[in-house]
Amino acid sequence: MSGRLFLCYNIKNMTHSELQKFIGFLTGSGYDVFAPEKQKDEVVYAKVEDAAKLKLIGEPPLHSFKRFLLPPEEVIFEYKKDRMSEVKKARKQVIFGVNPIDLKAIVLFNHIFEKDPWYQERMKNTLIIGQSLIPAEAEHNLFHIKYEEDVLEHLQFDIFLEVQPAPTRKGRGGGKNYFVYTGSEDGQKILDEYGYKDYEHIQFSGPIKEEGLEPQMVKYRDALKKIYKKEIWEDDLGARCIECGKCTLVCPTCFCFDIKDQPNLVDKGGVRKRAWSACFYNDFSEVGGGHKFLKTTAERIHFWYYHKFVRIPDQLQIMGCVGCGRCAKVCPVGINIFKVLASL
Amino acid sequence: MHNQYQTTPAKILKIEDEGSNSKLFTLETPKNFKYQSGQFVEISLPGFGEAPFCLCSDSSEKNKFQVCVRNVGAVTAAMHNLKAGDKVGVRGPYGRPFPLELAKKRNLLIVVGGLGLETVRTAISEIIKNRKQYKKVQIFYGARSEEDLLFREEYDLWMKNDIDFHLCLDKPTDKFKLSCPVIQGLVTVLFEKAPLAENPVAFLCGPPVMYKFVLEKLNKAGFREEDIFMSLERRMHCGVGVCNHCAVGSFFVCQDGPVFSWDQIKDIRGAI
Repeated sequence: MSGRLFLCYNIKNMTHSELQKFIGFLTGSGYDVFAPEKQKDEVVYAKVEDAAKLKLIGEPPLHSFKRFLLPPEEVIFEYKKDRMSEVKKARKQVIFGVNPIDLKAIVLFNHIFEKDPWYQERMKNTLIIGQSLIPAEAEHNLFHIKYEEDVLEHLQFDIFLEVQPAPTRKGRGGGKNYFVYTGSEDGQKILDEYGYKDYEHIQFSGPIKEEGLEPQMVKYRDALKKIYKKEIWEDDLGARCIECGKCTLVCPTCFCFDIKDQPNLVDKGGVRKRAWSACFYNDFSEVGGGHKFLKTTAERIHFWYYHKFVRIPDQLQIMGCVGCGRCAKVCPVGINIFKVLASL
Repeated sequence: MHNQYQTTPAKILKIEDEGSNSKLFTLETPKNFKYQSGQFVEISLPGFGEAPFCLCSDSSEKNKFQVCVRNVGAVTAAMHNLKAGDKVGVRGPYGRPFPLELAKKRNLLIVVGGLGLETVRTAISEIIKNRKQYKKVQIFYGARSEEDLLFREEYDLWMKNDIDFHLCLDKPTDKFKLSCPVIQGLVTVLFEKAPLAENPVAFLCGPPVMYKFVLEKLNKAGFREEDIFMSLERRMHCGVGVCNHCAVGSFFVCQDGPVFSWDQIKDIRGAI
């Protein structure tokens, strides 16, 4: 990493118009490129139809990268009578403009789905292009993540655009300049193919920083493990939460799923699908015979927090929440993760 | 990459009626299929889905295995309509088994309620096969009524093999002639009637409500927390520790369990 400062005077930045050309090259090479786009009042991911109009938007999109890597519903097998055959279909895609907060969630997904054939196939066909603009407001950045250079070696991406603070000359469309990093061989290859050489490669060194476990993670984990505050879970959240599951839809680290069959009613065939599930739904823990292990709203919302702040930290030593604040934004009854964590 | 959700077809060799409105399925084993007492498989019936079933047969039988299926949901209802010769999909076995090696060194108390007997039947078969390697073995089995008893014809064989078998029924009706004495009550009454062997380890399997009361008895009898092993039932949906339906505390029942020692889970809210 120290090479960067040394080298930067003779390394060029990528101008915005060059970035647009590069994105145009990707769409021309058969990639579906998805980028954050302002639509009415909301930033959402949309397919880039005209690369010359691409903007780099710092405001995080309401829905994250999630549906591109783990679709809300996907066919995983086709069956005919008792024969089950794997279905793997992944289009070449680019997820553009992922900020370091969401990239942390991608690191988590890569862990969780490391042996998942469908996720892996999709990842093989996906280029992730990150960018360095992180919202400063706590409501979009609960854990006050800052963009510092040593952040990158703990994130997984193919290409990363470091937005330069003082553009040397205005590029078309956004007026921004970028320093380009690569984080994978795929990222290097595609830049080489396009003909851009001024990038620096970052070797992924695992999700955990040299300083050790994140103190915030340890704090929340220990608090949740040791103390059960009835006044939070039962009197407050359990009474307010209406179990709509919206928080789980927008959460970039929620990945629980159901597997279910759908017969085609024609030739004794059909498909086996995987679909997003939510621990807020009352059949989430139901077993044959109807017994439910998570019986109340309080138990289910506690399960959600426990998963992110205890189970994932215990299993992977990283936090299961990246602090993007999307859950608070969409909650119809005003449950705010920031306040909940402060009250643990 | 091996697809861990891929099932292997297994032919149904036999279907027999069991107690508790259950049917005992004997299935052809897929290749390289080895299992131990307490482990489970996912059985898939295309069009209906998958469900987890504990393995309940003699694991030394190389060509076949058994699961006992009570008709309680979509997959099980569809399974009850199958006949010998039909095929189902199988993946697994999954999970951590009961620690039988430990039971070779110590006396063993098995406490089971209702369908929990299925889960330990593999252990019982193993003990009978290698009876000399084990020390004193006691079974406390509680069921609702005679109709709910599982594996009724096998108790004799167990007793003949020096297993101290005790049975209690919540509502005894004398419907079937049983070769063992029957006591009226819940499984905990057996702790008053049968003297415990010295310094045993305990294997438990039963409905969640049973654990609380049995643990009280074990605690009174001086069992150490690390000597009590219990099988937790949850919705083991993916079987490979991803989907989170079966999570308990920081564990996945499908991978870290279903068999846990009590000291592993005693501090987890809602574990039992």
